[in-house]
Amino acid sequence: MSGERIFRVARGGAGETARYQEYRVPEGDRVTVLDGLLHIHRYLDRTLAFRYNCRAMMCGTCGLRVNGTERLACSTRLSAVPGRTVIVEPLRHLPLIQDLMVDFEPFFDAWRQVKPAFVPARAPRESGQAPDESVRVPDEPARIAPDAPERQVIDRHRECISSAICYSACEVVSVSPEFLGPAAMTRALCLITDSRGGAREERLDLLNGERGCWRCHTHTTCSELCPKGLDPTAAIEQVKRILVRRSLLKLVGVYRPAASESSRT
Amino acid sequence: MHESLTTDILILGGGGAALCAALHAKRRGGPALTVTVAVKGLLAKSGCTRMVQGGYNAVLNPRDSLQRHFADTIKGGAFLNDQELAWMLVSRAPRMIAEMETRYGCFFDRNPDGTIHQKAFGGQSYDRTIHRGDLTGIEIMERLRDAVLGQDIRVLEDHRAVRLLRDRSGQRVCGALLLDMRRGTFTVARARAVLLATGGGPTMYKISSPSREKSMDGIAMAYEAGAVLMDMEMVQFHPSGIVVEGSELHGAVIEEGVRGAGGRLYNARGERFMERYDQARLERSMRDVVTRACYLEIMEGRGTPAGGVWLDASHLGKEFVEREFPGMVERTRAAGSDLATGRVEVSPAAHFIMGGVRIDERCRTSVEGLYAAGEDASGVQGGNRLGGNGVAESTVFGALAGDVLAEDVVGRAPAASEEGEVRRAIEEVTAPLGRDTGEDAYALLDRLRAMMWEKAGVVREAHALEEAIAELQDLEARAERVKVHGRPQANLEWMLWLNLRSLVVTSALVARSALARTESRASHYRADYPVQDDRSWLRHVEIRRGANGGLGGDGPVVATRPVRITRLRPDQVPAGAEWPGVPVTHDE
Repeated sequence: MSGERIFRVARGGAGETARYQEYRVPEGDRVTVLDGLLHIHRYLDRTLAFRYNCRAMMCGTCGLRVNGTERLACSTRLSAVPGRTVIVEPLRHLPLIQDLMVDFEPFFDAWRQVKPAFVPARAPRESGQAPDESVRVPDEPARIAPDAPERQVIDRHRECISSAICYSACEVVSVSPEFLGPAAMTRALCLITDSRGGAREERLDLLNGERGCWRCHTHTTCSELCPKGLDPTAAIEQVKRILVRRSLLKLVGVYRPAASESSRT
Repeated sequence: MHESLTTDILILGGGGAALCAALHAKRRGGPALTVTVAVKGLLAKSGCTRMVQGGYNAVLNPRDSLQRHFADTIKGGAFLNDQELAWMLVSRAPRMIAEMETRYGCFFDRNPDGTIHQKAFGGQSYDRTIHRGDLTGIEIMERLRDAVLGQDIRVLEDHRAVRLLRDRSGQRVCGALLLDMRRGTFTVARARAVLLATGGGPTMYKISSPSREKSMDGIAMAYEAGAVLMDMEMVQFHPSGIVVEGSELHGAVIEEGVRGAGGRLYNARGERFMERYDQARLERSMRDVVTRACYLEIMEGRGTPAGGVWLDASHLGKEFVEREFPGMVERTRAAGSDLATGRVEVSPAAHFIMGGVRIDERCRTSVEGLYAAGEDASGVQGGNRLGGNGVAESTVFGALAGDVLAEDVVGRAPAASEEGEVRRAIEEVTAPLGRDTGEDAYALLDRLRAMMWEKAGVVREAHALEEAIAELQDLEARAERVKVHGRPQANLEWMLWLNLRSLVVTSALVARSALARTESRASHYRADYPVQDDRSWLRHVEIRRGANGGLGGDGPVVATRPVRITRLRPDQVPAGAEWPGVPVTHDE
């Protein structure tokens, strides 16, 4: 089914009101929104700005809104977009640089809040100074069976490509920009579940705080739109359960902080 | 005219090598050491480590051995590897895997007993490829990025380096000129040492797999700065880039693990053609062998109408393929086919360059103050890289470079760059923005890609290479007459033009080196010299900038140098698939 589509593309820079410019884009049956943008850039308008790198659903750079819904441009086939007109707009909640190109800083600022860097439960040994010793021999990788409970949780919730699609789609972020958002809390769940890692309590305190999970209204938009099929809503619900259990145990005075969720029995 | 910043260590790039270098430099150098990472996109999102699918080769199983990994790497590289660098790769990879698991929190797939799972990849005598599903690069880059966020490391996103800056003597690299791609402004970054970790990315071919922003910038800049480059003729073509005509997805790779797991290749006649090229290994043969086989089938008229061959894994079972290769299944479905239930059209695609900047065992280049690691460097992989050895190289040598840099900058005074060099570079780089008329960057890029595919691609010969060299001089001149539309801010066409420039220069280095090597070896196949010639050619082809610069006349200077064969000689290896005395095993 080859034909022609009308791309209505939001144009403009920071602080400007978007104006919509229309372009006619040929449609092949295997062509994506990214291919459409590249067609516009090459043949119709060299000044259009947008982001893309890997073009294969790995880098999470080409997120935008297609007819009001967050998508990766590279994985959205035009044949799957209904209607003749394709409205293309930048992701929300992120400062606009130009046209469809945004600054990911607020997304990564929220990400940084959950202390995304892995903290080993037991610090690896430090050793000598000679360059030959540079890649030190830390402890061996932990033995964790593929069907271990922590693995089940982590497998379901990682493989996030930090596309900020959930962050853009989240209605809570719209009204409360300080909300950490779905991706950062999903990362936090993986970290607090990982028996190899530490810093569990401080992450839990943060998730329990002003910017944390209790603000989530379970709209499930994030889970519907995640380009990698992850389920941030379920992750946030799991964080809530962990926190409830923690407060109950604290209340009755039997709470024992553990390195990770899964090392608790 | 420009802004300035000063840092102890400047790292160019944002993939595995760059981030491992930053983390190691910071750990080794401590709080006082300033580390700056400048990346041509978003941190950890650009670059090719991100795109790693199958995984990471490292010896973990006691039944495997470093010697075997080493021998596989050297055999795969057809004895063109620098053997000391290759030994560093295999001997440090296991510790790097441990580091990534225990320090950065990577979580690779496990065996039922909880140990790390390793799968079969081409050209290997043991199943040693560590992975996270079939999208391993995401796990590695997300976790390295998280680790970097936890450190005091300065990150300049959307900053691409356009020129290495030298001091007044012209002999030492003392920084780089960076272009802020958002604002269209320039920054002079002055550093005590500069690491090239931009990755290669041979996207100068009609069909290529790397991330689309890749354009051999690091190698091009090193060449301009006078560094010696090596083995530039060794471009790897992956056998199975997906064929999706009319889409940017064209050329994205269907990972080697599919063939490792039993995926088969058929030509348009339905013949399992690998039987004719490598009866012992079939589809599990080395990349260069499988690529050449696919290419010849297509060129000899046994390919599909769209110019591909068929990759078929459907006999392995829908459930198995969906479970083992979810990312590949997703990718093929996005392109309108389905790896789990049917055959997928694939073609060779330019994938990786084994050649690059010559380094020593401390990642030092031939120019003082300039270091290189990962795909920008050369020597580790020889004439052909085994699948799974690429991310190992990036991380092992990135980490090494970080440690070395932190030590080497101690007591080294920063040098001022020559102010005229900065001014000239800015004038040159901004020139296309001011033109009223000029050449079209897209058209030149198309021309370059078609020409390189045809004349300096999978199969080469002297006459075609000479034509390529002449045409590249023409393209070089035309590239300098390109008009770029619009303003400097967030200008994709300007970036495309800068990519074109890097690709034209490096294409010329590929073609000239390919012409110099009058034999066939690994990824370099000469139709007019079809035989591997160990008597004359256990040598590297080296190339560097001539006194006058430019690609024409007495531009690049070519020389050769013997390979360091310090650990394993060609006569110690039999021709067959198996390593002497070691049965080929494939653990389940």
